[in-house]
Amino acid sequence: MLISSFAHALLSASSMLVLSTGTQEDGLLNSGFWHKLWLRAQPATELARSTDSMFMFLWWFCVFWFVFLMGLMVYFIVKYRRVPGKAAPQSPSHSTPLEIAWTVLPTILLAGIFVVGFRDYMKKMTPAGNAMEIRLTGFKWSWKFEYPNGFAVDSGSSGARIGAEPVPVFYVPAETPIKLRMNSTDVMHSFWVPDFRIKQDLLPNRFTFMTFTAKAPGPDAARMPESIAQHDAQATFSDTTNPIRYKVLPPFIEQLKGVPYTDHWVFCAEYCGTSHSEMAAIIRVVPKEAYEQWLVLTQEKAESGSPVEVGQRVFRANCASCHSVDGSPNTGPTWLNWFGYEHMYADGRTYMADDNHMLMSIRYPAMHIRKGYPNGMTPWSESMLSPKKVDALIAYMKSLSDKAPATTPDEATAAEAPKPKS
Amino acid sequence: MAHDHHHGSYLTPKGGTLATVLDWATTVDHKKIGVMYLFAVLFMFFLGGVAAVALRTELWDPVRINEAGQVTGQLFGPADATSVATGNDIYNRLFTLHGAIMVFMVIVPSVPASLGNFLIPLMLGAKDVAFPRLNLLSWYIYVIGSIFAVSSIVLGGVDTGWTFYTPYSTSTDADMMRVVYMVLGAFILGFSSILTGLNFVVTVHKLRAPGMGWFDMPLFVWGLYATSIIQVLATPVIGITLLLLTFERLFGIGIFDPAKGGDPVLYQHFFWFYSHPVVYVMILPAMAIINEVIPVHSRKAIFGYKSMAFASLAIAAVAFLVWGHHMFTSMSEMASAIFSGLTFLVAIPTAVKMFNWIATLYKGSISLTTPMIYAVNFLVLFAIGGLTGLPLATLSTDLHLHDSYFVVAHFHYVMMGGTIIALLAGLHHWWPKMFGKMYNAFWANIGAIVVFIGFNVTFFTQFFMGVQGMPRRYASYVEDFQIYHQISTIGSYILAVGFFIHLFVFIHSLAAGKKAAQNPWGGLTMEWAADSPPIEHNFAHEPVCTHGPYDFDRVVPPGWKEADWPVPEGVKPQLSGAELTSHKGGGH
Repeated sequence: MLISSFAHALLSASSMLVLSTGTQEDGLLNSGFWHKLWLRAQPATELARSTDSMFMFLWWFCVFWFVFLMGLMVYFIVKYRRVPGKAAPQSPSHSTPLEIAWTVLPTILLAGIFVVGFRDYMKKMTPAGNAMEIRLTGFKWSWKFEYPNGFAVDSGSSGARIGAEPVPVFYVPAETPIKLRMNSTDVMHSFWVPDFRIKQDLLPNRFTFMTFTAKAPGPDAARMPESIAQHDAQATFSDTTNPIRYKVLPPFIEQLKGVPYTDHWVFCAEYCGTSHSEMAAIIRVVPKEAYEQWLVLTQEKAESGSPVEVGQRVFRANCASCHSVDGSPNTGPTWLNWFGYEHMYADGRTYMADDNHMLMSIRYPAMHIRKGYPNGMTPWSESMLSPKKVDALIAYMKSLSDKAPATTPDEATAAEAPKPKS
Repeated sequence: MAHDHHHGSYLTPKGGTLATVLDWATTVDHKKIGVMYLFAVLFMFFLGGVAAVALRTELWDPVRINEAGQVTGQLFGPADATSVATGNDIYNRLFTLHGAIMVFMVIVPSVPASLGNFLIPLMLGAKDVAFPRLNLLSWYIYVIGSIFAVSSIVLGGVDTGWTFYTPYSTSTDADMMRVVYMVLGAFILGFSSILTGLNFVVTVHKLRAPGMGWFDMPLFVWGLYATSIIQVLATPVIGITLLLLTFERLFGIGIFDPAKGGDPVLYQHFFWFYSHPVVYVMILPAMAIINEVIPVHSRKAIFGYKSMAFASLAIAAVAFLVWGHHMFTSMSEMASAIFSGLTFLVAIPTAVKMFNWIATLYKGSISLTTPMIYAVNFLVLFAIGGLTGLPLATLSTDLHLHDSYFVVAHFHYVMMGGTIIALLAGLHHWWPKMFGKMYNAFWANIGAIVVFIGFNVTFFTQFFMGVQGMPRRYASYVEDFQIYHQISTIGSYILAVGFFIHLFVFIHSLAAGKKAAQNPWGGLTMEWAADSPPIEHNFAHEPVCTHGPYDFDRVVPPGWKEADWPVPEGVKPQLSGAELTSHKGGGH
């Protein structure tokens, strides 16, 4: 009880400090010269704001003790400098009351800091009951977001890059509690969104969670570019006063013109090998309606183009982790020259891979297991993969076989020639 | 005077070059072993330092592809896209090398094995440590372990980071043997640490001079005693962990592999169960040095002797309970809360020590000699290092700062600003005793100031980077951080210049330094009653302890004349106890 009331005193002390430092925002430690010097970017969630208050409080706490102790030290060194031939005057070499005082005082102060830190931490860790769950997968060396409707964004979906790697851009709705259910497919990674002041490790053997509610992009999120489209067209936007701290190339979505947004860097914070420093992403916060619109538009965009083109995109987003298209071995059988040939199956029989066989293999993979491969594939129901996408996928599978029916010149150029793996 | 000129100093060569080399290679003299450790550690410090400067140089302008598709920053490779990955790989190997050398081969053995070995028997008035042969063995184990670890670099390097986190460390790298060499190197080095610790514990218990009770011991000995306890208790855990890791790599036993029912986070628990206490193996000896340097150069008894001694033990005890604070982002909320609370506990004895040091200066007679300048450097840098630990122990802010450059800056302030700076303070304090030569104080002071400036330019900048979102162990970064990285790199060059000044000062001292007096600073601990450099058996007669180690206001230090030693009015000065010799003969 004593500790928690002290914690409250600590917090109110910190808000008082703010009043004296002078701010234009809502009376926290979060603006003004020192905040800018330390954190540069404004916090992008409410809880990040309270973390900043804690950080700035600790900064002033440290400054106070540092100046006090070092001031005393310098004062003593000057005042009691050695005078040849003169002895140091006698003084007590210990003082029990003083020593008890300076043991108890830090104990109380530290207990207070602990309590406030713990309370804010629990707030940051606890998702709202109605949070929208997004599935996040980390792998060497990128991230993948899967939205509740099954739509997935993974590496290279935009031209934005750090180092050599293009980074994915993840759209999230503003003012909506979001809960990330996360795991890794290989080594450990850590998802850090500096503007949200949170990070969480991704482990290969269990789910971890992270939650945030991003603030709406608006005038207080520094200056906004006119629109996403215009920003993308300029392609070299860079403004140090803006929380958008990078240069970005398209995805060009004409329909979202004029929609305000804020971008936040994501970095991997747990060392994971060669391209650890390029394992970045961008979280793009847009208003809720714009997010819904974006989902529809990107879905449509994902389904536009020739069937082979669409099929190739579906393959990259959903199938490429287990199947190759160049004959190289993987968890599942390669798609190169699958169509149109007979293959041996685990039940000892052979089947001809025709349209119907391919459809069944997507919807009900356990029906026929290829010899030498595990029975491990997810059945793709209609809610996960629309009939249109499945048709496109089959068209793509066919295009990978030398038994494929003659294609129109259009489709032949559209389908990228499979490259052998180096 | 206790000068016995028929005894040669321990540095006197025994015959020709070959005989001298053989004599050193087979010596069981704690002083020679301490000196050999010192040079081995300084050599490894040089290697690790070269890696650090190379890292900072890469970060000046990393290999990157700009938005126009051009490759920029080509320090380590040809100008094409593949050089980004190559540059990253070289960087990753370099920071692993830097971390592993600095932790396992420099900071852990630095103070205990070099100054500790040299000084503990002298300070206790003993002829040697309790197990002299074990002591030599531990030096050879150190050398073998270092060769193992360094050989992995010759073979192409290890890119796991010095923490060897699974599953990365069990899956990286086509040639798995390099990781195994490095891990086995650290495993072997652990034994050197255990043997040294064991030796010191027994020495402190059994070989104190007649009249020396526990609370008459110099605080340096107290600090190293606490350190030794941690070494003996915690090092076996890292030994087991590293062995398990080796088995995991070689035989796939699956203790850390989820596919076989293992858990990679278990490795982190094992690892930090050792590696957190070892942080105090690194810092307690540093505090122990400061406990000696400040009183001697202020001619003032250390304030709160007993609270200092108990603070050391308290830190050693709590050290075992805080390992989880390295894992706040991979543990349950409950565990995080407990470890955060326990972590704050460590801050209390640390704060007490800080208050005690500053209170010691009060009404002192303070002389800013080189060791004292370094002690002041220590107080400043350690204060920054300690205070910046607060936002890391606080859960809500740690969630942001964990694994960022803020952490990098924090532990460099503690490990380097603390331990290495304190080692330099101790080295300048005891150099005359160790080698019987003085050094050029002017240039040593210049070196101390250059090191101080370089250090702060290098590492204070990194606090800002970390808070603004720069993760650690990044070969490359977004452009915003470049200015901070470049300031930090300039700082590292200044730091390197500072260390080279010291190198030249030490070489000059050994080659042409003035002969050192027996007790140049007026210390009251027993090592000052020995010659400079000490004779092979340390003391001509077994010394007797007749006063406390910090009674500057009533005892004339050994080697000083009563007329030269001012005492407060009305005090009848007592001659140092070491002048009184026991006639029981060498009783050990």
